Amino acid sequence: MFLEVNNLNKKFNKEHVVEALSFELEKQKTLSILGKSGCGKTTMLKMISGLVNPDSGNVFLDGNEVTLLKPEQRNMVYLYQEDLLFPHLTIFENIAFGLRLKKINSKAIKDQVDQMAHSLELHNQLDKMPHQLSGGQRQRVSFGRAIIINPSVLLLDEPFGSLDSGTRQRMQSLFKNLTREYKITSLFITHDLKEAILMGDKIGFMQNGNLHVYESKQDFLNDPTTGVNQEINFWKSLQIEAGSELKNTINE
Amino acid sequence: MYKNWRAYVLPFLVLLVLFPFTYLLFLSLSGAWYYPDVLPKYFGLRNWRTILSSETGLLQSFLMSTGISLAVAIVSTLSGFFISKTVYYHPHKRILNLLAYLPYILAPVVFAACLSYFFLKLGLFGNVTGVITAQFLISFPYALIFFSSFWNERIKNYENLVSTLGGNTLDRYFKVLFPLAKGLLLVCFFQTYLISWFEYGLTSIIGVGKVQTITIKVFMFIKEANYFYGALSCCLLIFPPVVLLYINKKYVFKKIA
Repeated sequence: MFLEVNNLNKKFNKEHVVEALSFELEKQKTLSILGKSGCGKTTMLKMISGLVNPDSGNVFLDGNEVTLLKPEQRNMVYLYQEDLLFPHLTIFENIAFGLRLKKINSKAIKDQVDQMAHSLELHNQLDKMPHQLSGGQRQRVSFGRAIIINPSVLLLDEPFGSLDSGTRQRMQSLFKNLTREYKITSLFITHDLKEAILMGDKIGFMQNGNLHVYESKQDFLNDPTTGVNQEINFWKSLQIEAGSELKNTINE
Repeated sequence: MYKNWRAYVLPFLVLLVLFPFTYLLFLSLSGAWYYPDVLPKYFGLRNWRTILSSETGLLQSFLMSTGISLAVAIVSTLSGFFISKTVYYHPHKRILNLLAYLPYILAPVVFAACLSYFFLKLGLFGNVTGVITAQFLISFPYALIFFSSFWNERIKNYENLVSTLGGNTLDRYFKVLFPLAKGLLLVCFFQTYLISWFEYGLTSIIGVGKVQTITIKVFMFIKEANYFYGALSCCLLIFPPVVLLYINKKYVFKKIA
Protein backbone atom coordinates (compact mmCIF):
# COMPACT_ATOMS: atom_id res chain seq x y z
CA MET A 1 0.00 0.00 0.00
CA PHE A 2 1.15 3.54 -0.74
CA LEU A 3 -0.07 5.18 2.48
CA GLU A 4 -0.31 3.09 5.65
CA VAL A 5 -1.49 4.47 8.98
CA ASN A 6 -1.03 2.09 11.92
CA ASN A 7 -2.67 2.51 15.30
CA LEU A 8 -2.36 6.32 15.60
CA ASN A 9 -3.33 7.82 18.96
CA LYS A 10 -3.60 11.39 20.16
CA LYS A 11 -4.82 12.87 23.42
CA PHE A 12 -5.49 16.55 24.17
CA ASN A 13 -5.96 17.34 27.89
CA LYS A 14 -6.48 13.65 28.71
CA GLU A 15 -9.23 13.42 26.09
CA HIS A 16 -8.74 10.89 23.29
CA VAL A 17 -9.15 12.79 20.01
CA VAL A 18 -7.79 10.03 17.79
CA GLU A 19 -7.78 6.46 19.03
CA ALA A 20 -6.25 3.35 17.45
CA LEU A 21 -6.64 4.79 13.97
CA SER A 22 -5.49 2.52 11.14
CA PHE A 23 -6.15 2.50 7.42
CA GLU A 24 -4.45 2.03 4.07
CA LEU A 25 -4.67 3.85 0.76
CA GLU A 26 -3.54 2.82 -2.70
CA LYS A 27 -1.50 5.11 -4.95
CA GLN A 28 -3.45 7.59 -7.11
CA LYS A 29 -6.67 7.00 -5.18
CA THR A 30 -8.80 9.44 -3.21
CA LEU A 31 -10.24 8.52 0.17
CA SER A 32 -13.23 10.68 1.17
CA ILE A 33 -13.63 11.04 4.91
CA LEU A 34 -16.92 11.96 6.53
CA GLY A 35 -17.61 12.59 10.17
CA LYS A 36 -19.20 14.97 12.64
CA SER A 37 -17.42 18.10 13.88
CA GLY A 38 -14.90 17.32 16.63
CA CYS A 39 -14.58 13.63 15.76
CA GLY A 40 -10.83 14.00 15.12
CA LYS A 41 -10.68 14.35 11.30
CA THR A 42 -8.45 17.46 11.28
CA THR A 43 -6.15 16.05 13.99
CA MET A 44 -5.77 12.87 11.93
CA LEU A 45 -4.77 14.84 8.80
CA LYS A 46 -2.36 16.99 10.83
CA MET A 47 -0.71 13.89 12.31
CA ILE A 48 -0.29 12.35 8.84
CA SER A 49 1.22 15.60 7.51
CA GLY A 50 3.54 15.94 10.53
CA LEU A 51 1.98 19.18 11.82
CA VAL A 52 0.88 17.41 15.02
CA ASN A 53 2.92 14.68 16.68
CA PRO A 54 1.01 11.50 17.51
CA ASP A 55 1.28 10.06 21.04
CA SER A 56 1.82 6.65 19.45
CA GLY A 57 1.45 4.85 16.14
CA ASN A 58 3.18 4.96 12.76
CA VAL A 59 2.72 6.43 9.32
CA PHE A 60 4.32 4.73 6.31
CA LEU A 61 4.60 6.29 2.87
CA ASP A 62 5.53 4.00 0.00
CA GLY A 63 6.99 1.54 2.50
CA ASN A 64 9.11 4.11 4.38
CA GLU A 65 8.27 5.23 7.90
CA VAL A 66 7.68 9.01 8.01
CA THR A 67 6.25 9.28 11.55
CA LEU A 68 9.25 11.20 12.91
CA LEU A 69 9.95 13.31 9.83
CA LYS A 70 9.28 17.06 9.83
CA PRO A 71 6.37 18.27 7.66
CA GLU A 72 8.77 19.79 5.10
CA GLN A 73 10.44 16.40 4.62
CA ARG A 74 7.26 14.37 3.97
CA ASN A 75 6.14 15.85 0.63
CA MET A 76 2.52 15.85 1.79
CA VAL A 77 0.65 19.11 1.28
CA TYR A 78 -2.09 20.06 3.73
CA LEU A 79 -4.81 22.26 2.24
CA TYR A 80 -7.15 24.23 4.48
CA GLN A 81 -10.72 25.33 3.92
CA GLU A 82 -9.34 28.86 3.50
CA ASP A 83 -7.31 29.31 0.31
CA LEU A 84 -4.45 30.98 2.27
CA LEU A 85 -2.96 32.66 -0.79
CA PHE A 86 0.02 34.84 0.09
CA PRO A 87 -1.37 38.38 -0.21
CA HIS A 88 2.03 39.93 -1.01
CA LEU A 89 2.65 37.69 -4.05
CA THR A 90 1.10 37.65 -7.52
CA ILE A 91 -0.90 34.63 -8.68
CA PHE A 92 2.16 33.46 -10.67
CA GLU A 93 4.38 33.66 -7.59
CA ASN A 94 1.75 31.98 -5.42
CA ILE A 95 1.60 28.98 -7.77
CA ALA A 96 5.40 28.97 -8.11
CA PHE A 97 5.95 29.19 -4.32
CA GLY A 98 6.74 25.51 -3.71
CA LEU A 99 8.95 25.31 -6.80
CA ARG A 100 10.97 28.33 -5.63
CA LEU A 101 11.48 26.58 -2.27
CA LYS A 102 12.93 23.64 -4.19
CA LYS A 103 15.27 26.12 -5.97
CA ILE A 104 14.22 25.01 -9.46
CA ASN A 105 15.51 27.24 -12.28
CA SER A 106 13.35 30.13 -13.46
CA LYS A 107 12.74 28.78 -16.99
CA ALA A 108 11.40 25.46 -15.66
CA ILE A 109 9.27 27.31 -13.10
CA LYS A 110 7.74 29.50 -15.81
CA ASP A 111 6.94 26.48 -18.01
CA GLN A 112 5.38 24.52 -15.15
CA VAL A 113 3.35 27.47 -13.84
CA ASP A 114 2.06 28.25 -17.35
CA GLN A 115 1.01 24.63 -17.83
CA MET A 116 -0.68 24.55 -14.42
CA ALA A 117 -2.42 27.87 -15.11
CA HIS A 118 -3.88 26.37 -18.29
CA SER A 119 -5.11 23.29 -16.40
CA LEU A 120 -6.73 25.61 -13.86
CA GLU A 121 -8.08 28.00 -16.54
CA LEU A 122 -6.18 30.82 -14.87
CA HIS A 123 -3.72 31.71 -17.63
CA ASN A 124 -5.06 35.28 -17.90
CA GLN A 125 -4.86 35.93 -14.17
CA LEU A 126 -1.17 35.27 -13.47
CA ASP A 127 -0.14 38.92 -13.04
CA LYS A 128 -3.01 39.73 -10.68
CA MET A 129 -2.86 39.89 -6.90
CA PRO A 130 -4.95 37.42 -4.81
CA HIS A 131 -7.49 40.06 -3.72
CA GLN A 132 -8.42 40.61 -7.37
CA LEU A 133 -9.73 37.04 -7.78
CA SER A 134 -13.08 35.46 -6.84
CA GLY A 135 -13.39 32.79 -4.13
CA GLY A 136 -13.44 29.93 -6.66
CA GLN A 137 -10.45 31.28 -8.57
CA ARG A 138 -8.50 31.69 -5.33
CA GLN A 139 -9.25 28.09 -4.36
CA ARG A 140 -8.03 26.96 -7.79
CA VAL A 141 -4.77 28.84 -7.27
CA SER A 142 -4.44 27.14 -3.90
CA PHE A 143 -4.86 23.73 -5.58
CA GLY A 144 -2.36 24.63 -8.28
CA ARG A 145 0.20 25.78 -5.71
CA ALA A 146 -0.10 22.40 -3.95
CA ILE A 147 -0.25 20.11 -6.99
CA ILE A 148 2.60 21.76 -8.92
CA ILE A 149 5.19 20.40 -6.47
CA ASN A 150 3.95 16.88 -7.19
CA PRO A 151 3.14 15.89 -3.58
CA SER A 152 3.08 12.24 -2.58
CA VAL A 153 -0.23 12.78 -0.81
CA LEU A 154 -2.61 15.73 -0.87
CA LEU A 155 -4.46 16.26 2.41
CA LEU A 156 -7.62 18.31 1.94
CA ASP A 157 -9.50 19.59 4.97
CA GLU A 158 -12.96 20.61 3.72
CA PRO A 159 -11.45 22.53 0.78
CA PHE A 160 -14.80 23.59 -0.70
CA GLY A 161 -16.52 24.35 2.60
CA SER A 162 -16.58 28.11 2.07
CA LEU A 163 -17.75 28.10 -1.58
CA ASP A 164 -21.28 28.62 -2.91
CA SER A 165 -23.01 25.55 -4.39
CA GLY A 166 -22.37 26.47 -8.06
CA THR A 167 -18.66 27.15 -7.54
CA ARG A 168 -18.45 24.04 -5.38
CA GLN A 169 -19.76 21.86 -8.21
CA ARG A 170 -17.29 23.35 -10.68
CA MET A 171 -14.45 22.84 -8.19
CA GLN A 172 -15.46 19.21 -7.62
CA SER A 173 -15.29 18.49 -11.32
CA LEU A 174 -11.98 20.40 -11.64
CA PHE A 175 -10.51 18.43 -8.74
CA LYS A 176 -11.56 15.14 -10.33
CA ASN A 177 -9.85 16.17 -13.59
CA LEU A 178 -6.70 17.28 -11.78
CA THR A 179 -6.42 14.04 -9.79
CA ARG A 180 -6.54 12.12 -13.08
CA GLU A 181 -4.16 14.47 -14.95
CA TYR A 182 -1.55 14.74 -12.19
CA LYS A 183 -2.07 11.21 -10.73
CA ILE A 184 -2.75 12.47 -7.22
CA THR A 185 -3.19 10.40 -4.06
CA SER A 186 -5.40 12.26 -1.61
CA LEU A 187 -7.37 12.25 1.61
CA PHE A 188 -10.47 14.42 1.25
CA ILE A 189 -12.36 15.54 4.36
CA THR A 190 -15.89 16.79 3.79
CA HIS A 191 -19.19 17.23 5.62
CA ASP A 192 -21.14 16.80 2.41
CA LEU A 193 -22.40 13.27 1.70
CA LYS A 194 -22.80 13.86 -2.02
CA GLU A 195 -19.33 15.36 -2.27
CA ALA A 196 -17.83 12.40 -0.40
CA ILE A 197 -19.43 9.94 -2.82
CA LEU A 198 -18.47 12.00 -5.89
CA MET A 199 -14.87 12.68 -4.95
CA GLY A 200 -13.72 9.47 -3.28
CA ASP A 201 -12.61 6.19 -4.81
CA LYS A 202 -13.21 4.92 -1.28
CA ILE A 203 -15.20 6.37 1.58
CA GLY A 204 -14.32 6.43 5.26
CA PHE A 205 -16.50 7.40 8.19
CA MET A 206 -14.89 8.80 11.32
CA GLN A 207 -16.49 8.48 14.71
CA ASN A 208 -15.04 9.04 18.20
CA GLY A 209 -11.50 9.31 16.89
CA ASN A 210 -11.65 6.14 14.84
CA LEU A 211 -11.90 5.75 11.07
CA HIS A 212 -13.79 2.99 9.32
CA VAL A 213 -12.98 2.66 5.61
CA TYR A 214 -15.66 0.86 3.60
CA GLU A 215 -14.77 -1.80 1.05
CA SER A 216 -17.21 -0.36 -1.46
CA LYS A 217 -19.57 2.59 -1.81
CA GLN A 218 -22.50 0.18 -1.47
CA ASP A 219 -21.22 -0.94 1.97
CA PHE A 220 -21.10 2.70 2.98
CA LEU A 221 -24.67 3.31 1.77
CA ASN A 222 -25.92 0.22 3.62
CA ASP A 223 -24.37 1.17 6.98
CA PRO A 224 -27.11 2.66 9.20
CA THR A 225 -24.62 4.48 11.48
CA THR A 226 -23.51 6.88 8.72
CA GLY A 227 -26.93 8.54 8.39
CA VAL A 228 -26.91 8.10 4.59
CA ASN A 229 -30.19 6.22 4.57
CA GLN A 230 -31.86 8.91 6.65
CA GLU A 231 -30.76 11.49 4.10
CA ILE A 232 -31.93 9.38 1.16
CA ASN A 233 -35.30 8.83 2.86
CA PHE A 234 -35.60 12.58 3.50
CA TRP A 235 -35.16 13.41 -0.20
CA LYS A 236 -37.47 10.55 -1.24
CA SER A 237 -40.24 11.76 1.10
CA LEU A 238 -39.80 15.28 -0.25
CA GLN A 239 -40.14 13.93 -3.78
CA ILE A 240 -43.31 11.98 -2.88
CA GLU A 241 -44.76 15.07 -1.17
CA ALA A 242 -44.03 17.24 -4.20
CA GLY A 243 -45.53 14.58 -6.47
CA SER A 244 -48.79 14.33 -4.50
CA GLU A 245 -49.09 18.12 -4.37
CA LEU A 246 -48.73 18.24 -8.14
CA LYS A 247 -51.38 15.49 -8.47
CA ASN A 248 -53.81 17.46 -6.27
CA THR A 249 -53.28 20.61 -8.32
CA ILE A 250 -54.01 18.72 -11.55
CA ASN A 251 -57.16 17.15 -10.02
CA GLU A 252 -58.43 20.55 -8.89
CA MET B 1 -22.09 79.85 4.32
CA TYR B 2 -20.58 76.54 5.37
CA LYS B 3 -17.83 76.91 2.77
CA ASN B 4 -16.91 80.43 4.00
CA TRP B 5 -16.59 79.23 7.57
CA ARG B 6 -14.21 76.46 6.50
CA ALA B 7 -12.17 78.83 4.38
CA TYR B 8 -11.24 80.93 7.47
CA VAL B 9 -11.09 78.35 10.25
CA LEU B 10 -8.94 75.73 8.52
CA PRO B 11 -6.03 78.07 7.65
CA PHE B 12 -6.24 79.45 11.20
CA LEU B 13 -5.94 75.93 12.65
CA VAL B 14 -3.02 75.14 10.36
CA LEU B 15 -1.30 78.36 11.48
CA LEU B 16 -1.98 77.45 15.11
CA VAL B 17 -0.30 74.07 14.66
CA LEU B 18 2.62 75.44 12.66
CA PHE B 19 3.28 78.49 14.86
CA PRO B 20 5.27 76.76 17.67
CA PHE B 21 7.53 75.06 15.13
CA THR B 22 8.10 78.25 13.11
CA TYR B 23 8.73 80.20 16.28
CA LEU B 24 11.25 77.58 17.46
CA LEU B 25 13.11 77.88 14.17
CA PHE B 26 13.01 81.70 14.45
CA LEU B 27 14.36 81.57 18.01
CA SER B 28 17.14 79.16 17.01
CA LEU B 29 18.29 81.73 14.41
CA SER B 30 18.11 84.63 16.87
CA GLY B 31 20.51 86.16 19.40
CA ALA B 32 20.63 89.10 21.84
CA TRP B 33 16.86 89.58 21.97
CA TYR B 34 16.09 91.64 25.06
CA TYR B 35 13.05 93.46 26.34
CA PRO B 36 11.66 95.83 25.02
CA ASP B 37 13.10 95.04 21.52
CA VAL B 38 10.42 93.83 19.13
CA LEU B 39 12.93 91.94 17.03
CA PRO B 40 16.25 90.31 17.97
CA LYS B 41 19.50 92.27 17.48
CA TYR B 42 21.08 89.26 15.76
CA PHE B 43 19.40 87.02 13.23
CA GLY B 44 21.49 84.44 11.38
CA LEU B 45 23.13 81.05 11.45
CA ARG B 46 25.53 81.70 14.37
CA ASN B 47 23.74 79.31 16.75
CA TRP B 48 23.62 76.58 14.14
CA ARG B 49 27.34 77.01 13.39
CA THR B 50 28.11 76.31 17.04
CA ILE B 51 26.69 72.84 16.58
CA LEU B 52 29.56 72.04 14.26
CA SER B 53 32.12 73.81 16.46
CA SER B 54 31.30 71.35 19.29
CA GLU B 55 31.19 74.21 21.78
CA THR B 56 27.88 72.99 23.16
CA GLY B 57 28.21 69.32 22.24
CA LEU B 58 24.84 69.41 20.51
CA LEU B 59 26.02 67.58 17.42
CA GLN B 60 27.53 64.79 19.55
CA SER B 61 24.28 64.60 21.54
CA PHE B 62 22.28 64.42 18.32
CA LEU B 63 24.44 61.63 16.93
CA MET B 64 24.48 59.77 20.25
CA SER B 65 20.68 60.04 20.55
CA THR B 66 20.31 58.76 16.98
CA GLY B 67 22.57 55.79 17.79
CA ILE B 68 20.79 54.99 21.06
CA SER B 69 17.32 55.27 19.50
CA LEU B 70 18.28 53.17 16.49
CA ALA B 71 19.71 50.45 18.74
CA VAL B 72 16.65 50.49 21.01
CA ALA B 73 14.20 50.50 18.08
CA ILE B 74 15.92 47.67 16.18
CA VAL B 75 16.38 45.41 19.23
CA SER B 76 12.90 46.11 20.63
CA THR B 77 11.11 45.60 17.31
CA LEU B 78 12.86 42.35 16.46
CA SER B 79 12.75 40.86 19.95
CA GLY B 80 9.13 42.03 20.34
CA PHE B 81 8.21 40.28 17.08
CA PHE B 82 9.84 36.96 17.94
CA ILE B 83 8.94 36.87 21.65
CA SER B 84 5.31 37.90 21.00
CA LYS B 85 5.05 34.74 18.88
CA THR B 86 6.31 32.60 21.78
CA VAL B 87 3.85 34.39 24.09
CA TYR B 88 0.97 33.73 21.65
CA TYR B 89 1.64 29.97 21.69
CA HIS B 90 2.25 29.89 25.47
CA PRO B 91 -0.51 28.29 27.60
CA HIS B 92 -0.42 31.29 29.98
CA LYS B 93 -0.36 33.96 27.27
CA ARG B 94 -2.98 36.15 29.02
CA ILE B 95 -0.87 36.48 32.18
CA LEU B 96 2.28 37.14 30.15
CA ASN B 97 0.51 39.84 28.12
CA LEU B 98 -0.73 41.42 31.34
CA LEU B 99 2.82 41.47 32.74
CA ALA B 100 3.93 43.44 29.67
CA TYR B 101 1.85 46.40 30.94
CA LEU B 102 3.76 46.51 34.26
CA PRO B 103 6.46 49.06 33.23
CA TYR B 104 3.69 51.51 32.30
CA ILE B 105 2.02 51.37 35.71
CA LEU B 106 4.97 53.27 37.24
CA ALA B 107 6.19 56.71 36.20
CA PRO B 108 9.50 56.36 34.28
CA VAL B 109 11.42 58.16 37.05
CA VAL B 110 10.04 55.82 39.73
CA PHE B 111 10.71 52.85 37.44
CA ALA B 112 14.31 54.03 36.98
CA ALA B 113 14.74 54.50 40.74
CA CYS B 114 13.58 50.90 41.25
CA LEU B 115 16.06 49.65 38.65
CA SER B 116 19.01 51.81 39.72
CA TYR B 117 20.33 49.30 42.30
CA PHE B 118 20.59 46.53 39.68
CA PHE B 119 22.14 48.87 37.12
CA LEU B 120 24.72 49.97 39.69
CA LYS B 121 25.59 46.34 40.49
CA LEU B 122 25.88 45.49 36.79
CA GLY B 123 28.08 48.50 36.03
CA LEU B 124 25.48 49.99 33.73
CA PHE B 125 25.15 53.30 35.54
CA GLY B 126 26.24 56.43 33.63
CA ASN B 127 27.07 54.81 30.30
CA VAL B 128 25.40 54.41 26.90
CA THR B 129 24.87 50.64 27.31
CA GLY B 130 22.96 51.30 30.55
CA VAL B 131 20.75 53.91 28.87
CA ILE B 132 20.04 51.58 25.91
CA THR B 133 19.17 48.77 28.36
CA ALA B 134 16.91 51.05 30.43
CA GLN B 135 15.11 52.38 27.37
CA PHE B 136 14.78 48.83 26.04
CA LEU B 137 12.94 47.90 29.24
CA ILE B 138 10.32 50.51 28.33
CA SER B 139 10.09 49.98 24.59
CA PHE B 140 10.26 46.16 24.53
CA PRO B 141 6.92 45.67 26.38
CA TYR B 142 5.40 48.16 23.95
CA ALA B 143 6.62 46.08 20.99
CA LEU B 144 5.38 42.89 22.69
CA ILE B 145 1.88 44.34 23.13
CA PHE B 146 1.99 45.83 19.62
CA PHE B 147 2.71 42.49 17.93
CA SER B 148 0.37 40.40 20.10
CA SER B 149 -2.47 41.18 17.66
CA PHE B 150 -0.44 39.96 14.67
CA TRP B 151 -0.31 36.31 15.72
CA ASN B 152 -3.51 34.36 15.20
CA GLU B 153 -4.82 31.06 13.85
CA ARG B 154 -4.58 32.28 10.24
CA ILE B 155 -0.87 33.13 10.60
CA LYS B 156 -0.31 29.71 12.19
CA ASN B 157 -2.06 28.12 9.19
CA TYR B 158 0.20 30.08 6.82
CA GLU B 159 3.25 28.73 8.68
CA ASN B 160 1.90 25.18 8.52
CA LEU B 161 1.17 25.55 4.82
CA VAL B 162 4.73 26.73 4.07
CA SER B 163 6.05 23.73 6.03
CA THR B 164 3.99 21.22 4.08
CA LEU B 165 4.99 22.93 0.82
CA GLY B 166 8.59 22.14 1.77
CA GLY B 167 9.73 25.35 3.48
CA ASN B 168 12.02 25.41 6.53
CA THR B 169 12.01 27.91 9.42
CA LEU B 170 13.98 30.55 7.47
CA ASP B 171 11.58 30.24 4.52
CA ARG B 172 8.64 30.70 6.86
CA TYR B 173 10.09 33.94 8.22
CA PHE B 174 11.68 35.47 5.14
CA LYS B 175 9.17 34.42 2.47
CA VAL B 176 5.93 34.78 4.43
CA LEU B 177 5.98 36.14 8.00
CA PHE B 178 8.23 39.19 7.45
CA PRO B 179 6.45 40.25 4.23
CA LEU B 180 3.06 39.84 5.95
CA ALA B 181 4.22 41.84 8.98
CA LYS B 182 6.22 44.43 7.01
CA GLY B 183 3.88 47.35 7.69
CA LEU B 184 3.59 46.49 11.39
CA LEU B 185 7.36 46.05 11.73
CA LEU B 186 7.95 49.51 10.27
CA VAL B 187 5.31 51.17 12.46
CA CYS B 188 6.70 49.44 15.56
CA PHE B 189 10.23 50.49 14.61
CA PHE B 190 9.11 54.15 14.29
CA GLN B 191 7.14 54.07 17.53
CA THR B 192 9.92 52.52 19.60
CA TYR B 193 12.39 54.94 18.00
CA LEU B 194 10.20 57.82 19.19
CA ILE B 195 9.77 56.31 22.68
CA SER B 196 13.55 56.17 22.99
CA TRP B 197 14.14 59.57 21.33
CA PHE B 198 11.89 61.50 23.72
CA GLU B 199 12.72 59.46 26.86
CA TYR B 200 13.87 61.77 29.67
CA GLY B 201 13.14 60.36 33.15
CA LEU B 202 14.91 57.00 32.78
CA THR B 203 17.79 58.47 30.77
CA SER B 204 18.53 61.23 33.27
CA ILE B 205 18.62 58.79 36.23
CA ILE B 206 20.46 55.88 34.58
CA GLY B 207 22.71 58.22 32.56
CA VAL B 208 23.46 60.33 35.69
CA GLY B 209 24.27 63.35 33.52
CA LYS B 210 27.12 61.53 31.76
CA VAL B 211 24.97 60.34 28.87
CA GLN B 212 23.62 63.58 27.42
CA THR B 213 21.03 62.73 24.83
CA ILE B 214 19.39 65.52 22.85
CA THR B 215 16.32 65.42 25.16
CA ILE B 216 18.56 65.84 28.20
CA LYS B 217 20.33 68.75 26.43
CA VAL B 218 17.00 70.51 25.73
CA PHE B 219 16.06 70.39 29.42
CA MET B 220 19.55 71.55 30.36
CA PHE B 221 19.33 74.66 28.13
CA ILE B 222 15.83 75.40 29.38
CA LYS B 223 17.05 75.15 32.99
CA GLU B 224 19.93 77.49 32.13
CA ALA B 225 17.38 79.89 30.55
CA ASN B 226 19.44 79.75 27.31
CA TYR B 227 16.36 79.76 25.17
CA PHE B 228 18.22 80.38 21.87
CA TYR B 229 20.19 77.14 22.29
CA GLY B 230 17.07 75.56 23.80
CA ALA B 231 15.13 76.40 20.63
CA LEU B 232 17.97 75.11 18.46
CA SER B 233 18.15 71.80 20.32
CA CYS B 234 14.35 71.58 20.13
CA CYS B 235 14.66 71.93 16.34
CA LEU B 236 17.11 69.03 16.36
CA LEU B 237 14.80 67.13 18.71
CA ILE B 238 11.78 67.38 16.43
CA PHE B 239 13.69 66.89 13.17
CA PRO B 240 13.85 63.04 13.23
CA PRO B 241 10.20 62.63 14.35
CA VAL B 242 9.09 64.90 11.48
CA VAL B 243 11.12 62.82 9.02
CA LEU B 244 9.67 59.60 10.48
CA LEU B 245 6.15 61.05 10.33
CA TYR B 246 6.69 61.87 6.67
CA ILE B 247 8.00 58.36 5.88
CA ASN B 248 5.12 56.84 7.88
CA LYS B 249 2.57 58.80 5.89
CA LYS B 250 4.19 58.32 2.51
CA TYR B 251 5.08 54.64 2.65
CA VAL B 252 3.81 52.73 5.67
CA PHE B 253 0.17 53.76 5.99
CA LYS B 254 -0.29 53.54 2.22
CA LYS B 255 0.93 49.92 2.34
CA ILE B 256 -1.17 48.99 5.38
CA ALA B 257 -4.28 50.52 3.75
